[in-house]
Formats: sequence, C-alpha cells, structure tokens
Amino acid sequence: MFELLVLLIKVGFVLNIALVLGSLCTWLERKGSALIQDRVGANRAGAFVESDRWYLKPILPVIRMMGWLGVINTLLCDSLKGLWKEDFVPEGTSKFLHAVAPIIAVMPIMLAFAVLPLAPDFYLFGYRIHPRVAPIDAGLLFVLAMGSVAVYGVAIAGWTGNNKFSLLGALRAAAQMISYELPMGLVFVALIVVYGTLDVYSIVEQQGDLVLGFLPKWGVFMQPVGFVVLLLAGMAETKRGPFDLPEAESELAAGYFTEYSGMKFLLFWLGEFCEIALFALLLALLFFGGWQIPWVQLPEGVWWAALLGHFVLMTKVVFFCVLQIVIRWTLPRFRYDQLMNLGWKLLLPVSLANLVLTAIVKVLA
Amino acid sequence: MNVISFLIGMTAVVSGICVVGLRNPLFSAFALVVNLLAVAGLYASLDAHFLAVSQVVVYAGAIMVLVLFVLMLLNLKSESGRRLGFVRCATALVVGCMVVMSALPPILAHFSGMSSSTVSDNMMSSVGTVQAIGRELYTKYVAQFELASLVLLIGIVGAVMLAKRKNVELAPRPGGLVGGSK
Repeated sequence: MFELLVLLIKVGFVLNIALVLGSLCTWLERKGSALIQDRVGANRAGAFVESDRWYLKPILPVIRMMGWLGVINTLLCDSLKGLWKEDFVPEGTSKFLHAVAPIIAVMPIMLAFAVLPLAPDFYLFGYRIHPRVAPIDAGLLFVLAMGSVAVYGVAIAGWTGNNKFSLLGALRAAAQMISYELPMGLVFVALIVVYGTLDVYSIVEQQGDLVLGFLPKWGVFMQPVGFVVLLLAGMAETKRGPFDLPEAESELAAGYFTEYSGMKFLLFWLGEFCEIALFALLLALLFFGGWQIPWVQLPEGVWWAALLGHFVLMTKVVFFCVLQIVIRWTLPRFRYDQLMNLGWKLLLPVSLANLVLTAIVKVLA
Repeated sequence: MNVISFLIGMTAVVSGICVVGLRNPLFSAFALVVNLLAVAGLYASLDAHFLAVSQVVVYAGAIMVLVLFVLMLLNLKSESGRRLGFVRCATALVVGCMVVMSALPPILAHFSGMSSSTVSDNMMSSVGTVQAIGRELYTKYVAQFELASLVLLIGIVGAVMLAKRKNVELAPRPGGLVGGSK
C-alpha cells in the first residue's frame, strides 16, 4: 500500500514537472520571441488589475507583476480561450480519429518522462526512494520508442484534416521524424558504448567521475560529436526551429494541424513544448551530468542533496529549453532538400563514424 | 499484475480480430498498430523490457508508419461486401487450425496444473535484460545474427537499386527550366 502511494506521488510529480516545464517553455517562447524580434510581447492581461477584496490585496502586486511579464496572458488567458472556442471538425473524415490524434501526439511524450530520473536516490523515513516512475532496464530505448510512436499523432492529424496542406504537413513530419531518428539512435548507441549501460540513472551516476584527473566525465566531453548530432537531430524531432517544415506557415497554412481548433489545437502545442522540455532533460542527463556538479561530491542518499541535485538538473534543463527557443527564433527555415541532405548525407555518416571511432577507442583502452 | 496482463491480452485479441474484420484498410492498419503495441505490453508484463521496446521501435514506430502512409496516399475506399470464395475460407480455416494446434500443448499443460515450461520465474527476470540478450546474440547465435544482417543488407541494396532511376533523360522545357536527372 505504501509503495503504491509512493508510486502515485511520483507519477503526479513527474507529470507535474512535464507540464510545468511545458508551460514555462510556452511563456519563454512568447516573451523570448518578443525580445528577439524587438517587440514588447504580452504585457496587458492582469497588469492593471484592481480589487478591494481583503484577501486579494496582499497578492495584487504579484498578480500585476505576472500580468506585466505576460504570464497570465500566455498561461491563463490562452488556455481559457482554447477551452471555450468552437471545436471545428472537418467534413468527410473520421471524427473519432480527429479527436484521438492530439492525444496520441501528447501521450508518448508524457510517457517518456516516466523512465528519466529527476534526482539522485535518497532515503526518507528509512525508505529508499527512486525519483523516477519506471526504473526499466532499457530506459534510453524507451525514450526513442516513444518518440517514434508520437509520429502517429501527427500522421493521423494530417490525414483527418482531409485537405492537401494537412496531408503534406503530415508527410513531411513523418519523413523528418523517421530520418532524424536514425542519427539520434546511433548517438545513443555510442553513449551506451562509452558508459556500458542503457540505464539513464547509471549513466548519470558515472558522469560524476573525473577523467584525466580534472575533466568531469560528462557526455559532452566524452562524445562532443555525438552532442552536436543529437542537438540537431533532437531539434528536428521536435519539428521546431529551423526544422519546422511540417507546419511551415508560409507554405502549408499550419501543416498537419491546419484543421484543428480550440483545445485540440492547444494539445498539439502542449505536446510540442513538452517535447522541448523532454529533449532538454535528455541533453542535461546524458551530456551535462544530470544532477552532478563538477568537482563537487554531494553526500549520497541524503534528502537535501537530492533536492539540490534536482535543482541543478532543472537549471540545466531550463538552459537547454532557452537555447532551443533562441535557435528557433534566430535561424530561418531549411529548404526541404536541405533538411533531407542534412539528415541522411551529413548527420547519419557522421554519427556512424562517431560510433565506429568510439568502439575502437573503447576496445583499445 | 494478472489483471493488467489479461486486459492487454484481450486488447491484442480484439485488435487482431479488427485487423482482419474491418472494411476500411486504414482502420485495419490502426488496429494492427494497437495490436503490436499490445503485444509489446505483453512482453513488458513478462519482464522482457528490451523485447517490448524493440517491438515498439521497429514494428510500431517504423514499419507501420510506412504502411499507414502508403494507405493514406492511395486513399483507398472501404471494401464493400466482397464475398470470400470457398478456397480462401478453406485456407483460412486450415491455417488457423494449425496455429491453434501449435499453441495447444502449453495451454493444456497450463490448465491441467502442471506447467510444461522449465523456465522458472527467477530465470525469466534475467532473460529479458539487454545484457542477457546481447550475450546470447553475440555468442550462441552469432552465425544466425550475421546471416540476418546479411539479409537486411541485401534488402537495402535491393531498395537502392529499385529506387535508382534508369535512363531518365527529360528534354529541356520550353520555359528554359531543365528538368530531370541525368
């Protein structure tokens, strides 16, 4: 019973992390894009709120500040608007699949968070707590598998749109996601060769060691080429940044979710932002030492060390979220042939060579 | 645990029936995806995590996406009440019976109380790990493994040969744009 309770708390916590990071990315995207494009951005809703209620008086400055920063606009107003909008379903297509597609697009991303550890293990009331929902053996592969299942959401959405733009967007998305999964998988294999395990927790633990006496054994130092390849492939996987061809506004209206409105449309967005967060978490865990602070050895199994580790990890995650958003608003979109050339003719051979080289070094060492 | 495996198993059976029963090929393909995922779930409930994940990556994640897209692009209409001939029915019956027969001994053994499988629970939990599968693949079954990769290589080369266009020489268009590849 106690174990079930702990599991439920963990599920709630991990889901919460996923959603909070997703909404943080939403806000970062709105305000960050404004900053980059020299605009002001959302700063009205809630910024001038007045009230005589006694219980609101003390928090009025906070609400005004949130309004001024655009938090209320992007998180509260937009979601309420999404909930109350007309839910438009196109004619001549399966209503069931139309409704199910956004769920299929979001669910795998949420599930992938289940295998990723969010803090080091610690003891609470004499009970060892693993801060992840599913400590399975093939954790790294599970993330990859969920990424490939997410293609279905996009594919079904594009098909149920029942028009050419949607279908073209879905086609592009599927081709792109399948193409960039290969280099991604090969980078994972190279990482597995370096750390000798598929378990993400064990990979992070090993990154606390030092190599050559001074360099932290972080993935970015062990696999610099792999990091660059994964960064590019991951951004293509999230269908954003310079890789947003599936929803290219100037070519395809909105691509695969052209026919979606209201909350279903917002679900696609939520999935996309959660995917950014997931990818940032993956980068932080695999390449930047997770909760490890370089040259600092935190005591093992203590709750405050776990909490500190969690904050360190989240700082890295937020950094990579910001990095992705900055790249997305800085670089122009690729042409389609450039996208395919980058994936198949550059990233795939480079990741293959990287894998072979890693294996040779591993055997010789 | 038993309830969950039972539910997953029922999902697999129902979706399997849907694959052959539904009239719209696209819905059949979706049913097949659900079926593959359910079978992966069964593997996972047997502690074979690696097998489950590879099932999702390879079948559900790659092969079925391609099948689905071919179906979507062909834009097939649902087949309207085509009768199955006698030969087809007979073939289906025979093949079905053979499959059931092959699965019958372990099922009967299970229900009569004496499990014929010599695999204990303890062994099961270590068989499905990545290390165990890797060790078996690269020591005991290395010849078969290499043969399988050879077959895949032949497949890749064949696909490249098929995709390679021969003798496509298009004349320059009147507008001045040169089309086609040499």
